[in-house]
Amino acid sequence: MTKVEYWVKMPFGPIHPGLEEPEKFILTLDGERIVDVDVKLGYNLRGIQWIAFRRNYIQIMYLAERMCGICSFSHNHTYTRAVEEAGGIEVPERAEYIRVIIGELERIHSHLLNLGVLAHDIGYDTLLHLTWLAREKVMDTLEAIAGNRVNYSMVTIGGVRRDIDGKKRRIILDMIKYYREVFPGIEDAFLHDPTIEARFRDTAIISKRVAMEQGAVGPTGRGSGIRDDARWSERLGVYPDLGIKPVMPQDVTGERPRGDVFDRMAVRIGELWGSLELIENALDAMPDGKIKTFPKDNILVAKLKLLVDGEGIGRYEAPRGELVHYVRGKKGSDKPLRWKPREPTFPNLFAVAEGVKGDQVADFVVAVASIDPCLSCTDRVAVVQDGKKKILTEKDLLRESIRKTREINSNIKGDPTPVGSSCSR
Amino acid sequence: MAMDVVGELVYPTVGLLGLYAFVSLASLVWEGVDRKLVARMQRRIGPPILQPLYDFLKLSSKETIIPSTANFMFTAAPGLALATAIALLAYTPVGFTPILASKGDVMVFIYLLTLIGFFKILGAISSGNPYAKIGAAREATIMVSREPAMMLGIFAIMWRLGKLGVDKPFSMGVFYVHNIWEIGTPMSFVGAVILLYVFTVWLASEIEVGFFNIPDAEEEIAGGLLVEYSGRYLALLKLTNAMKAFISASLVVAIFFPWGISGYLNLTGLSANVVDLLFHTLKVFALLFFVESVFRAVTGRLKITQAVDFLWKNVFLASLVGSLLIAMEVIM
Repeated sequence: MTKVEYWVKMPFGPIHPGLEEPEKFILTLDGERIVDVDVKLGYNLRGIQWIAFRRNYIQIMYLAERMCGICSFSHNHTYTRAVEEAGGIEVPERAEYIRVIIGELERIHSHLLNLGVLAHDIGYDTLLHLTWLAREKVMDTLEAIAGNRVNYSMVTIGGVRRDIDGKKRRIILDMIKYYREVFPGIEDAFLHDPTIEARFRDTAIISKRVAMEQGAVGPTGRGSGIRDDARWSERLGVYPDLGIKPVMPQDVTGERPRGDVFDRMAVRIGELWGSLELIENALDAMPDGKIKTFPKDNILVAKLKLLVDGEGIGRYEAPRGELVHYVRGKKGSDKPLRWKPREPTFPNLFAVAEGVKGDQVADFVVAVASIDPCLSCTDRVAVVQDGKKKILTEKDLLRESIRKTREINSNIKGDPTPVGSSCSR
Repeated sequence: MAMDVVGELVYPTVGLLGLYAFVSLASLVWEGVDRKLVARMQRRIGPPILQPLYDFLKLSSKETIIPSTANFMFTAAPGLALATAIALLAYTPVGFTPILASKGDVMVFIYLLTLIGFFKILGAISSGNPYAKIGAAREATIMVSREPAMMLGIFAIMWRLGKLGVDKPFSMGVFYVHNIWEIGTPMSFVGAVILLYVFTVWLASEIEVGFFNIPDAEEEIAGGLLVEYSGRYLALLKLTNAMKAFISASLVVAIFFPWGISGYLNLTGLSANVVDLLFHTLKVFALLFFVESVFRAVTGRLKITQAVDFLWKNVFLASLVGSLLIAMEVIM
């Protein structure tokens, strides 16, 4: 007698309380066991690259910053590096140190956020609230330095916009002191709590082989035992002078990396400490001097028009993994011919979709949260139909969505023209 | 033989209605207190204490959406679940002998308590939502895992207390005649402590908090059993859940902490019942503080396999040991 298997396909998303951003997964289930995961991208598309066609180098900096709220500095920074490489622009040393400080502050707030989300996904709301309470301090620090809690606008092509003076330095040192008191409690709660251990250990295991195949980066890759960190392997900026080294799970847990959710979380906890150290070292080693090559933005636009000719690639270790921006420009034009960001979530998402097979439904949301997905960064569209590529504009997308709505329910009446005046592109 | 209409029908009915009004209010207030306490533990402000009451009133007046895939049981289940909970009140020890206490009514109690879960499952699988079906499967799994430990414990305790001499064995009123701490031997004391542990874990799994918040897991299956419910049906189910928490906690309080204060105040009749009910409510709140508020503040939820493992391998075994210890000197 053959065994009959009752497999069920269940949609997980696009809107689901366990997902922070709209994204769809089709789970094939055998009871509670996940047999297969189908990742459907594209629910958070805003046409960023298309918008960028109409903007110059300076304007794209603001656009890049607004791709995602959590890694706003990373996108801006990486894009800036790409343009600097394409134009051969030197960055003052003090600016590099300030970039390190802001980048590591952002890493602390991103990792604390992710730890809270992980705890929330197993219903452990106390840890969520306590980690996010701790996160307020770094947000306040960032606000004091940059004037904003989220979009810092600290980086500009050829340097940084604002200096870190004595007062801001004291604020950062205060924050470091606060975190040296708070982090041991957070570390203890996450590494030694029985519920956390029961839920995160041996869940969604991404083996080193799968991680290599799918190109997993950042804490996801390091959790699976890949010793790679763009700040370390690329010898990025002044990071080598500050004693950067990749944080591996064995440094935190003392066990061999297994590639499960617990290891990815442990890497993040290790990086919290690492970031504090980097900030301290950077504050100590920061030389005096100017903070940007071109004092005014109008000079910068004129210079970029002349300088940028060719390609540039910026690489940076964002909190979620290695971020790559590609910029190609032409002499005489004030905007890039091509700008392409490549986000760490994209490979990580497929690695974890592979890793979660065989686990339970309950593990899925934890597994997705464990790569700290930034889906608003990831979603891009290019429709290839019959070998011809075409780009959908806002009008096309609107028309398509109206068509689909009519198809689903023809009774819906209403004026499909958008309310208010849209951006006149 | 003329039936005593007033004594047999009117008094119990009026008593039950009064009890229902009180318990539904008290259980909703407790939910508010619980949310406030947990919020304070999590360094939050938390909602007003009467928030669940406001929610209930608001939900009752909101639009009720019934999915096109749902069948008749989807709309019938919430009412049936609440009706079961009200009927269950007549057999619940709430500080005094239950209104309809009779010989062997513990069977009815267990039956009705399980029936609430059964109706919730029935409503969920009738909604046609895949998340609700997963929630229903989880609820059924956890139900068959948690009840045996409780049943074994309660039967062992009642049988042992019956040996001390009571009118109606296996009645919920037994706990107010003799209590578990009166048996007196050191062995039975150890057994009673073990059974207290068993019943506390059972209570947590019955009201599905902390480790056992699995069938309604919000982040995993979007609310599970309740996912398709809205408006007045959701209000009914929320009230049922709150009352079920009160009733389950009442059982544990009656077994382990049955003492009333009306005796000390020299009260009799209705006033004694009212005072005992109020004191009982306080004890229920105190118990729920530990089992619900503290428990859900310091734990997350387990996977269903881990919860089933825990309930059978740990709690059921503990129940077995505790029951044997209690029954030991009678058997030997």
